[in-house]
Amino acid sequence: MAHALGPSHDARRHRAHNRVALVLVVAAVLALGARLLLVQVLRGDRYEKYAAIERVTKTRAQAPRGVIQTADGAVLARNVESHRLELLTNRIKPGRIPQLLSSLRKLLDLTDAELARLGEELSKETDPRKRRPVVVRRDLVSTHCPYDSSPLQLVDPRPYGFCSTCGRYLEPVPERKTCPFDQRRLVPVDGGKAWHCNSCDRDFSAGAVCPFDGHPVGHGQHILQCPLCKRSFNDEVAVLRANLHHLPEARVVADIQREYPLRYLASHLLGYMGYVQESERQGQVLPWGPPRYALNDRVGRSGLERSLDSVLRGVDGEQILVRRSGNEEQAKDLDELLAAIKPQPPVPGPTLVLTIDSRLQRAAKQAMKDVASGAVAVLDVHSGKLLALYSKPSFDPNTMSGKRAPGARTGGEAVGYSPLINKATSAFAPASTYKIVAAIAGLEEGDVRLDTTMNCPGHYEYGGRRFHCHERRGHGDVDVHTALKVSCDVYFYRLGQVLGLDRMETWARLLGFGEHTGIELPESIGRIPNRVWYRDHVPGGYYPGFALSTAVGQKDVLSTPLQLLRIYAGLATGGVLPNLTLIERFEDAEGRSIVPERAPPRRYTLKPSTWRMLRAALRAVVNEDRGTAAGSKPRTTLLAGKTGTAQAPQRVRKSVAEVLADEPATLARLTEWLKQDHAWFAGYAPADQPEVAIVVFLEHGGSGGHDAAPIARQVLDAWGNLRGLSQPAAAPPSRPKRSPTTAQDRGADSAEPPAAPEAAAPGAAPQPVPAPADDSERRPEREPELAPSVPEAEEEP
Amino acid sequence: MNWLLRLREARTLAGLGCVLLICVAALDNLAFTDQLMGTTYHRVQLIWFVIGLISAGLVAALDLSYLRRLGPTMYAVLVVLLGAVLVVGREINYSKRWIELGPVNVQPSEFMKLAVILQLADWFDQRRATQPWRLRDLFKPAMIMAIPVILINLEPDLGTSLCVLAIAAGMILYEGVVGRGLVIAAIGLLLTFTVAWETGIIRDYQKGRAEAWYQSMLEDDERQKPPSERTQAEQALWAVGSGRWTGRSDAEAKASVLRHLPFMHTDFALAPFAARFGLLGCMALFLCYAGVVGWALRLADRVHERFDALVAVGVAGLIFWQFFVNAGMVIGLLPVVGVTLPLFSYGGSSALTSFLGIGLLLNMSARRGSQRSGGWNP
Repeated sequence: MAHALGPSHDARRHRAHNRVALVLVVAAVLALGARLLLVQVLRGDRYEKYAAIERVTKTRAQAPRGVIQTADGAVLARNVESHRLELLTNRIKPGRIPQLLSSLRKLLDLTDAELARLGEELSKETDPRKRRPVVVRRDLVSTHCPYDSSPLQLVDPRPYGFCSTCGRYLEPVPERKTCPFDQRRLVPVDGGKAWHCNSCDRDFSAGAVCPFDGHPVGHGQHILQCPLCKRSFNDEVAVLRANLHHLPEARVVADIQREYPLRYLASHLLGYMGYVQESERQGQVLPWGPPRYALNDRVGRSGLERSLDSVLRGVDGEQILVRRSGNEEQAKDLDELLAAIKPQPPVPGPTLVLTIDSRLQRAAKQAMKDVASGAVAVLDVHSGKLLALYSKPSFDPNTMSGKRAPGARTGGEAVGYSPLINKATSAFAPASTYKIVAAIAGLEEGDVRLDTTMNCPGHYEYGGRRFHCHERRGHGDVDVHTALKVSCDVYFYRLGQVLGLDRMETWARLLGFGEHTGIELPESIGRIPNRVWYRDHVPGGYYPGFALSTAVGQKDVLSTPLQLLRIYAGLATGGVLPNLTLIERFEDAEGRSIVPERAPPRRYTLKPSTWRMLRAALRAVVNEDRGTAAGSKPRTTLLAGKTGTAQAPQRVRKSVAEVLADEPATLARLTEWLKQDHAWFAGYAPADQPEVAIVVFLEHGGSGGHDAAPIARQVLDAWGNLRGLSQPAAAPPSRPKRSPTTAQDRGADSAEPPAAPEAAAPGAAPQPVPAPADDSERRPEREPELAPSVPEAEEEP
Repeated sequence: MNWLLRLREARTLAGLGCVLLICVAALDNLAFTDQLMGTTYHRVQLIWFVIGLISAGLVAALDLSYLRRLGPTMYAVLVVLLGAVLVVGREINYSKRWIELGPVNVQPSEFMKLAVILQLADWFDQRRATQPWRLRDLFKPAMIMAIPVILINLEPDLGTSLCVLAIAAGMILYEGVVGRGLVIAAIGLLLTFTVAWETGIIRDYQKGRAEAWYQSMLEDDERQKPPSERTQAEQALWAVGSGRWTGRSDAEAKASVLRHLPFMHTDFALAPFAARFGLLGCMALFLCYAGVVGWALRLADRVHERFDALVAVGVAGLIFWQFFVNAGMVIGLLPVVGVTLPLFSYGGSSALTSFLGIGLLLNMSARRGSQRSGGWNP
């Protein structure tokens, strides 16, 4: 009809196209219908089944972290179950945050800082696309004491106060002003407003205001008590669970937490755990792979926990959770389908067995008990395995890993003594222990001979300055042997002047100074300055007098205790520098043991005469009358070594002074401590066929001979007892009587058949360079054959 | 008011009936998904439908020549808005498509479909060719089409830009193109697609969807894939499949996969409908769409003006392409492309555009028979 009316456009073509279009539309609807038939009828039963799976989610199955234990089986780090509070950001409406925080404050003992952090993170996470939970970064107290992991006991409600500003718990003031926990006398704080127990670091106050910062105190009641430390707590997990209906955003999540049962014993080599930061999560193993860490994961923060984190953490698996709906029949069909989804079990981290012997470690700790700060390490000289490594002041890795209530972490008495720093891997001036460098350099390069003597009047004039010897009266005529034995500074000033800085540096590096020890811990490499270094780093540039101070290990030369340990192990083994290690082996879940491969030790060679002199001199230091460590002969073994006393006066750091501003007594003690010298002892034992090397470093600990060497003696006695050694005790007493004078020393020196195999093969002596290298390789096998002859020969003169 | 009475005609009433049936189904469906998601979209959509119906009535009452005069301005303004959207647009789901105008977000790309229809119809009407078009003479209509297609694709919104392309291509083909031109255009399209695929103009996720769809068409056994790795398309497919012949009860549908289906109020709105009303319900809905498109095509055949005919074809394309692509996507016949189901998915701009198109159809229905008169011409 429309056509008849005379349309103005090209009707025939349009009409044809119109028909085509209509046909296309019908065809399209038919195609859709056909597809619907397939989907809804022919395959409908299967899809119906699939649809009954309401949700299939994969969640992380956290791999248990590898247990760390010592060579003798003591567990240093293990896993315990813990709980944490997670706040689900996608369930939080923006206006709800303040209300949520205030109810959390009522339920838990949270400090203001923690609440502020939570509030900040919650308000940041407003993007509904990223539904990441925000956690309270602290383990909830539930069944075990957060301080010492003892099981908590239920007690009558105990009143307590909690200052949310400083995080202190305030106990009710006892009547007799003695601590109800350890019966010590309490110290008044702020004119008696509060009382403090110095031994257990507890505060007592009855006021409504915190005596430390003047903020109001919240009061409540605790119903759990630790039988060991007598602290009281609330079962935070139970409290939260009972209140979850008020808090739809909150979730109590089970977690695996690290526990360090031996607490202070090996803190620095173990390290501690901390929550992963968002910035660290960005880093991926592979650029296209998943993030290395899960959200709110914990990672090792120092020590082995950190350096071996990737091994210890194992491999996380996947758990599959299925939520289904529909009737029983459908559910049965589903099982067949779900069987195809395999959960991936986590691979637990391997057990790490350390080379450390817990008994020796304890002995080291015991030996250091009166020392404020320092480190002791014992090394098996042949294998490079560390048998003990203790640094002081120590810390409790449990508290650092977030188990303990926050606010109580501030180090207490250790403020100013850097408890988190591993002193064994930090660099200090090595003082007289460095004198071996100048001695070896002088002898090897021919600048001095074994019989070159020098008069020590107690000081040395150079460049218009007077360099003092530690013995102000002077040592008289000394040769290199005596100079090492009595640690004569003047002899080494002179030697340093002759050798110059750069030649000493070359020899120091050859001996192992200024390089990594190979230990699996972050370490300083120390500093061995040369003239270029002075030009680049010191405003005045190089001044020739620096060589004199450097020769006695002062001025700018720095070495870590572990470096010295390795260097003295090198002296003990005739030039084999072992790579230090803490790893005995890994043991995986099936009990297979894996020993990581280690680089072969570096070797260096010295003239046999130099070796003989060194061995004799180091032995004389401990075992002869004028030796600087003469009072420190171990009962069980024959010790050789070198003492050192470094002048290192320091001032209290400003930040520390601020912290201690209200504790003048502590500050005064710290100031006094910082003025003292560093004390060193480095050596090996037994002197004639060395098995272990030892280093003792006491930061501001007095003198090497009086303070450090006795500690080495204690530790080596413990080592000897462990080895069942008691015979060598008979041999040493005869030693000191033998050679009281310098001349006799030298005589003894030349007469004494040294432990080194060079003596057995005198023909090799004229060409020392290639031969000792071979010798040192074979050395461990040959030594037992030589051993019986050595003590006998010593007895002879 | 005489023209209004002419709407009594059976075809018109049938077409309008289809539209209203779709609207009722849409509101029912939105009310259902609102229960699942805890939202109140069906109330908002009801308001949009009322606004849409009123607008359709207004358009029906206008003189078309007035709209035709307004066309170029509309087109220009919308091109500017599409440019602006790229700069100041509001980003939702990684795509900048909306401009905030007070309480509502306006999506200019939707209205652009109508502007392109009007512009193309106007251009072809002015030329009044009696022979099929040669490709070289079609430069200007190609530009009218290409500018919005490119701008919309930049948002990025591949679905809408393909829709505009399909609507315009439908109109041009309706006008007629010589055989050689068709071949060249087909080759050109293929080349463009290849280049776009290789150079990343087609984005990786889009490639992934296309490949997933290709795989699903090749092999029908999804058992090989663990349900935990299912895609949105598969979830939708299961929901559709669970509807069977006549559909599930609301309670059953709620408990199923639907609970976690994303976009079930917008792009995947058909999935809950299919789960609840089954094959029969879906076919009824599809027939309603076919009815609306058929009404538009029949109208195109019967109007006197070339302009009117082309506008009717354009509106038919507007409804048809969106319907076909969206329904095909939900039931797994086509790969996933972000296209809404007209009048059915939640969204103000989309509903208003559809109603304006229907208003144009009503306008022509009302004037059928009379030459040029008609309506209000301010």
